[in-house]
Amino acid sequence: MVFTSLNFLLFFPFVALLFYITPIRWRWTVLLAASFFFYINVKPVYAVLLAGVILSTYFFTRLIGSTVNESRRQFYMIFNIVIVLLPLGFFKYFAVINNSLVFFLVDIGLHWPLPEIQYMLPVGISFYTFMAIGYTIDVYNEDMAVERNPGLLALFISFFPLILSGPIERAGNMLPQFRNPTSLNYSNISAGLKMMLWGYFMKLVVADRIGIYVDVVYGNIAGNNGSSLLIASILYPVQVYADLGGYSLIAIGVSRVMGLRVMQNFHRPFFSTSMAEFWRRWHISLISWLTDYVYTPLSFSLRKYRIWGIVIALMLTFLISGIWHGAAMTFVIWGLLQGTFLSIEALTNHKRVNLERRFGLRNSRVYLMICMGLTFVLFAVSQVFARVSGVDEAMMVFRKIITAQGSPYLDLTTLAYSVMGMSILFLKDLKDEFYNGEPAFFSNTRQWVRYCSYLTLAFIVIIFGVFGGSGFIYFQF
Amino acid sequence: MERKIVVEKLTGIFRRVFNSASLELRDDMTANDIENWDSLTHMILIAEIETAFKVKFKLKELNKMRNVGEMSDLLLQKIL
Repeated sequence: MVFTSLNFLLFFPFVALLFYITPIRWRWTVLLAASFFFYINVKPVYAVLLAGVILSTYFFTRLIGSTVNESRRQFYMIFNIVIVLLPLGFFKYFAVINNSLVFFLVDIGLHWPLPEIQYMLPVGISFYTFMAIGYTIDVYNEDMAVERNPGLLALFISFFPLILSGPIERAGNMLPQFRNPTSLNYSNISAGLKMMLWGYFMKLVVADRIGIYVDVVYGNIAGNNGSSLLIASILYPVQVYADLGGYSLIAIGVSRVMGLRVMQNFHRPFFSTSMAEFWRRWHISLISWLTDYVYTPLSFSLRKYRIWGIVIALMLTFLISGIWHGAAMTFVIWGLLQGTFLSIEALTNHKRVNLERRFGLRNSRVYLMICMGLTFVLFAVSQVFARVSGVDEAMMVFRKIITAQGSPYLDLTTLAYSVMGMSILFLKDLKDEFYNGEPAFFSNTRQWVRYCSYLTLAFIVIIFGVFGGSGFIYFQF
Repeated sequence: MERKIVVEKLTGIFRRVFNSASLELRDDMTANDIENWDSLTHMILIAEIETAFKVKFKLKELNKMRNVGEMSDLLLQKIL
């Protein structure tokens, strides 16, 4: 049951209604039942894994909480992390490791057939695994108290708006809200529905429309020329932004309707003037998770090497992020590219700041636009590796863009609708970034402007949206 | 060492790390108030402080620091 399905549009109002008519003390039980129903609806057998992760996390965090001996506490933490990572590791990497092993055996002359095991990745497994690990480390670090109610912990890990693709929330934010939900509040419902509407616009009008062009061109790299590949490569980062950003906004909106505040996942990333800033605005919940639980411990242990310790920690963190995205060389390169971009920025930071101060560049619109353009290009280059299925394909894309220009493939209807959707998205982000959200539409003081805006956007979604299309890009992770 | 001296010494380190000669520290300052204080420069700052004050932080202590004031207090505790 995805957010864009009819089932969800029936399921969600029912859950929200049930949530509000249930006494405050027991509202979490409605959300827990809805979350398991939602997940079982995807594939029942995978709910067993989810339950296993919840049980293990509950058991070991209770042990951490009741143990004084530091090395034992550490052992329990590591043990739980290993246990909850096992299913993710198995489903994500077993087939790759298995196939590599077969190739290796054949290479050394051994024909020892291993059974080919290729399971579908349980949807949302990365996201609930990350949330369970985050909670375990927070309890170990004494950043939060152990949750004694297994139902509340189960709800945190399985909360239906977030389980499929995040945002990857923190127990410190969600558990107190589950424990003490806010009462029925018009402003929460209104704010949540507005976010959902904008999220549906981003997903159905922008992402899925762009996706049609990108899929056609990237689906046949050999048969398309450099101009088409250039257009598709420029469009792809926008598609991912609208896809995951749209999904996140729907998830945040769904939660908000029930009075629950979930962290922001995207903050107008294409207005970033450096890669460091970009990664503070793009997939914020994943990056802040990686920063807190991977990068910070790594850079802390390497701090005596000063800037080079930071460089190594950055490279390793993004390498892990890349390998998490997929067990393929393309994602390894993707991760290393991000690490390299950020390392170069870290190494040249002082010089860049001095230069900017000396010439007052931070006040120059031209300079800022060049920085934004450059940041987008660097990200778009790295995203080519995320979109193709092999390094040779990525190389072919770059080679063709440089050498094989020509008349691009023009699917005028798709491109025209894409440009329309992207323009609306860009103008909204532009006014929010530089003009304090003015002119306001959804939050205009005049009621008729607000209602006309909702209706217009809903009309655009219904008329120009791509229905019955693909799932969300991040379901595969 | 008095708290005032700790803050003075810290100010010198902050100015050097964040490349800002006129930076004045306040107890309520956080990373949001100082240009370039991000996760990349944070660990360099910590390493510089450890060297200058001849102390060692634990990761748990770093995670609990919320602002410059808490950083100064923790340093004072460690050197006394």
